[in-house]
Amino acid sequence: MERRQDIVLGAVFAAMGLFAAVKAAAYSGATGAYPMALSLVLVAFGLLVAVKAALRGRSVPRPLTENTGRALLTVGLSVGYLALVPLLGFYTASALVVLAIPLSLGFRQPLFLVVVTAVFVAIVWAVFSLVLEKPLPAEFWQDY
Amino acid sequence: MDVLNEILGGVFALGSMAAMIGASILGVFIGALPGLNPVMAIALLLPLTYSMEPLVALGMVAGIYNGSMYGGAIPAILLRIPGTPAAIATTFDGFPMAQRGEAARALKIACWSSALGGTASAIALMTIGPVLARATLAFGPAEYFWIAMFGMASIGVLVGRDAVKGLMAAVLGLLMGTVGLDQLSGTPRFTFDQVWLLSGLDLIVILVGLYALPPVIALAEAADLKGLSAAALRLEPAKVSWREVRGLIPTWVRSSLIGIGVGILPGAGGNIAAFLSYNAAKSASKEPESFGKGNPAGVAAAECGNNADNAASMIPALTLGIPGNVVAALVLGALLIHGLQPGPQLFHKNPGLVGGFMLQMLLTSLLILAVGGAAATRVFAQVQRLPGVLLVPTVLVLMAVGVYVINGRVIDLWIMFVAGLAGYVLEKVEVPLAPIVLGLILGPMAEQSVRRALLISRGDVTELVTRPISMTIASATLLLILWPILQVWLRARRARAHEPDMS
Repeated sequence: MERRQDIVLGAVFAAMGLFAAVKAAAYSGATGAYPMALSLVLVAFGLLVAVKAALRGRSVPRPLTENTGRALLTVGLSVGYLALVPLLGFYTASALVVLAIPLSLGFRQPLFLVVVTAVFVAIVWAVFSLVLEKPLPAEFWQDY
Repeated sequence: MDVLNEILGGVFALGSMAAMIGASILGVFIGALPGLNPVMAIALLLPLTYSMEPLVALGMVAGIYNGSMYGGAIPAILLRIPGTPAAIATTFDGFPMAQRGEAARALKIACWSSALGGTASAIALMTIGPVLARATLAFGPAEYFWIAMFGMASIGVLVGRDAVKGLMAAVLGLLMGTVGLDQLSGTPRFTFDQVWLLSGLDLIVILVGLYALPPVIALAEAADLKGLSAAALRLEPAKVSWREVRGLIPTWVRSSLIGIGVGILPGAGGNIAAFLSYNAAKSASKEPESFGKGNPAGVAAAECGNNADNAASMIPALTLGIPGNVVAALVLGALLIHGLQPGPQLFHKNPGLVGGFMLQMLLTSLLILAVGGAAATRVFAQVQRLPGVLLVPTVLVLMAVGVYVINGRVIDLWIMFVAGLAGYVLEKVEVPLAPIVLGLILGPMAEQSVRRALLISRGDVTELVTRPISMTIASATLLLILWPILQVWLRARRARAHEPDMS
């Protein structure tokens, strides 16, 4: 157990519980009673985790990532991908992310990557658009 | 007779058969790829099943589950890398066998053991499930409430390292389950004036985020750029003699029973079943020192044990609505997608569907023998030549497309992503994710049950615990929650008793 992390964790859960309790207080009767009870229990468990950590926790750091740089890079590119889906269209944004993530993680076989991207996007298109006929965010070039 | 016809007609229909075979093959591939796991695969698959027949969807879940549990043995034996957590015990003797040039023999034993364990487990599900379901007919709203609480408490206490964190996660899941319109009064709760929140948090969106994003980030962190060389994956042909098969029968029987027992217990998973089976085989062996050095019985015990957990974990899920593990929770999710409420009534209202799913668990266990044969295993082993970095964006795209097609909303992509990031951090700080999912699944049932019980009793809270069954389950739940505290107290008492008398 890492003392500081668990104190923060417990505090976050207790704060969420407290926030939910305040919201639940606005609901009348049984509609509010059930979430209110849960919120208070969440506050209690959050405080218990924090107090336990403060009293007994060790200060040995618990790594939150195996490789912070790569984790942040992937999270950043994923956020960019999700933001681009409604702007560029599903398949265009997906093709870009399939190219961008391996390249940014150090993959240096561009031809292989392009082939994998093309085959993968084609499979997804065949399954979702052709066979299942699922509507996906339209491609930007379809507007022109 | 009508039910039997319905079961056989549904299971042996073309769609269901194709789903079982295709998903079993896909499952072995997923299990064989370290970094991917059955939970992630099923979570990704669920959004696709909305438009499918329930038995086609459940056939796919069964195939992926049973297939991937065997698939995990392939890298465990060839490379000492468990493809799934449940295959860790398989590495102990599987890899030494591979080093001796007996990889194909170890894989063959793993394949047969997986199929036998899975089959025994499916038979247990088919026999124990209906009996337990009949017993639960006496349950009223108070009992349903306590069953939900017991399930949550057991998962919360047993799954993680810290029982308080597990219980805290379960309560968070229950609270998340209250988001949206109150089903009894119609009042919106925790919706923040957002229309898309009126229907509540979508279970599948949260599931995909929680279970698929953390492994994706882990794959990116590992940044495997090369995959494995073909030479490392070469397999020499091998035969297993009838004498050897006969010698493994006691191990298979013992491991099957252990796996089934572990599967029924909520909270325990395939990895625990595999370890217990392995230890039992070692204890029963005349040559315990040969374990860990390439004893085929070690491979047989681990693989049979982890597959025997599969269908058995569905027993509490289908009869009581309490999943024995995360995959069982996903099966409950699949049932909810098709408007089927898991729990005691499921057996009575949809016997054809439940019976069909149980038969699918049996058939997909047997299918391992066909899709996990020597030639197929050679093909499956080749997937490990794929560089891990290519899996990162491909899984991400599959997550996005799967989640988007549920409701056709971009906001769901962001909810999935936030849930995934939260899941990643929570796992790192040792908060188990399974109780959150269970809380989300069982929360609405628990709330409706307790409110109905209180309506019937005109607000008398004591009615929740005065019936014998509800009192028993409530006591068991309380005992389960207090168990970690009792353990600490007992340990302290024992330590005091052993202290030398300083006076």
